[in-house]
Amino acid sequence: MNPEQKERFARHIRLPQIGEKGQQAILDASALIVGVGGLGSPAAMYLAAAGIGKLVLSDYDIVETSNLQRQIIHREAAVGEHKVESGRQTVRALNPRCEVDVISYQLEGDELKRVVSSVDIVLDCCDNYPTRFDVNRACVATVTGAAIRLEGQIMNYQPAANSACYQCLYTHAYGAEESCELEGVLGPVVGVIGTMQALQALLILAGQGEAMVNRLLLFDAYAMEWQAVTLSKNPGCPACAKT
Amino acid sequence: MNISIEFYASLMKYLPPGQSRFRRDIKIEDGLLLNRLIESYHISPAEAHIVLVNGNYVNAEQRESRELAEGDVVSIWPPVAGG
Ligand SMILES: [Zn+2]
Repeated sequence: MNPEQKERFARHIRLPQIGEKGQQAILDASALIVGVGGLGSPAAMYLAAAGIGKLVLSDYDIVETSNLQRQIIHREAAVGEHKVESGRQTVRALNPRCEVDVISYQLEGDELKRVVSSVDIVLDCCDNYPTRFDVNRACVATVTGAAIRLEGQIMNYQPAANSACYQCLYTHAYGAEESCELEGVLGPVVGVIGTMQALQALLILAGQGEAMVNRLLLFDAYAMEWQAVTLSKNPGCPACAKT
Repeated sequence: MNISIEFYASLMKYLPPGQSRFRRDIKIEDGLLLNRLIESYHISPAEAHIVLVNGNYVNAEQRESRELAEGDVVSIWPPVAGG
């Protein structure tokens, strides 16, 4: 780490749980953000600010005016641009040393598998089951977030720790996805969940992911309650069960 | 016997009238099975995605045979996939 990096990340390095070793691991790491919307906005920004070496931003959407109430990576001037291009600009303004790759079309099939396998960690910030299942099946460390209305959930998959995976809990699609467009969402709710995804990703990258193995967090902003749940591997899981 | 129920997020609408946004103290018959309790509030299995008794996850299979006990707190959360 050079003197400039030591200064920039001094508050991380000061933490015994991160230290120079943990910060170096973050600097050397790459992350794929699937979905640069409400969850992906704070996730990408916190990872970039934390010094992550490389971000791959994936989203096929265009920034719309109705996104601006919660998707804080996008500025009003970016309306009409690809979300990944707008995201890249914000990330690069935060931290020019962060390398950014963008994928502005639907990532699926073999290509999704290839991209997922090329990074150290995936932040699943998307809004639909099929993508979540595909990401999960690629079997790479993943932090999954979901949010709508005033509620959200976060879980993570750490294959190296043989943890429960996304499909241990969500074995199949539970009806049609509800969309924020139809149901509404209070801006900071996606902020809380997306920020928590960044937090978990940084801890995992720094080698401190042990406490969150098999841990599911549930958030209800209207009740103003969190609940932490310990999961176990589902022997009938369609993705990770040994047959 | 007395237990408490907590219905979160979109499941709050199934709560009987009361003060709290998410919690009720209720009386049930002794030994009531968890799934019978959930059905009695007309919550479908797909909606009752995450069910906890006293903070511990009870999977779909176990819910069929799990007998409730005095003082139990049953928490139910719906699935969320949006973002
Ligand atoms: Zn699994």
